[in-house]
Amino acid sequence: MDYVILSLVLLAIGIYGLLTKRDLLKVFVSVELIATAATMNFVMLVPSLGKGLGEAFLVLAFATDTCVSGVILALLVIVHKKYGTSDISDLVKNEENKKDEVEA
Amino acid sequence: MILELLSAGLVISACLAIFLDEAVYSVVALAGTFFLTSMLYALSGSIFAAVFQFAVGAGTLAILFLSGEMLSETPVKVPQKTLLSLVAVGVLLSLPAVFLSISDQATIFSGITFEEALWDLRAIDVVLQGFVIMTVALGIVIILHEKRKGGK
Repeated sequence: MDYVILSLVLLAIGIYGLLTKRDLLKVFVSVELIATAATMNFVMLVPSLGKGLGEAFLVLAFATDTCVSGVILALLVIVHKKYGTSDISDLVKNEENKKDEVEA
Repeated sequence: MILELLSAGLVISACLAIFLDEAVYSVVALAGTFFLTSMLYALSGSIFAAVFQFAVGAGTLAILFLSGEMLSETPVKVPQKTLLSLVAVGVLLSLPAVFLSISDQATIFSGITFEEALWDLRAIDVVLQGFVIMTVALGIVIILHEKRKGGK
């Protein structure tokens, strides 16, 4: 079994979700899958990089992943509180309606 | 054999996490993905990575469950046929990972300790990440302070 191909498959699923799903929670799940794929690459590279360097990369990847998750979740909650929806299409429609009202 | 089964389960749960409509079910599938990834790391000898993955996954999922519950609207019943087809797609997608392989890479950096790698090779990354986390924390403090001021 090869971790490179497994991480590539996970990356592909994540990118597909990122491009096709309109719900912000699904976008978040897709970002998490992409991050998992990236982390898997680091884990796979540990034997060839040396244990210390591999673990250092891993720690940095996890730290970045956690920061990204925190920011996306905060945005998700704020958007849902402000607009009452987490659907990107609805948010765009809301903004367009607002613009039309201002122009009229 | 166990690793192959775990990788197939990982891809299936990733597919379910993306394609299931209900937010809570999607989060449960993501929890499965994190758990299986952690198991995969542990079984292939990377205990350090497994523990980290498990800890980060548990933290993320606790918050995701709350926000998923908060954001989800009326529950949607998933048809059995859709669920089965999603599992079939997951199994198909996991086949390349099970049967194909890429040749091992040559050893580049061997014999470097964790501390050396973190502070000598990746010092800028570590400092910058610390800076980013500090900025986020400061931002939160400022927002809460402004909110408090506005409330009064």
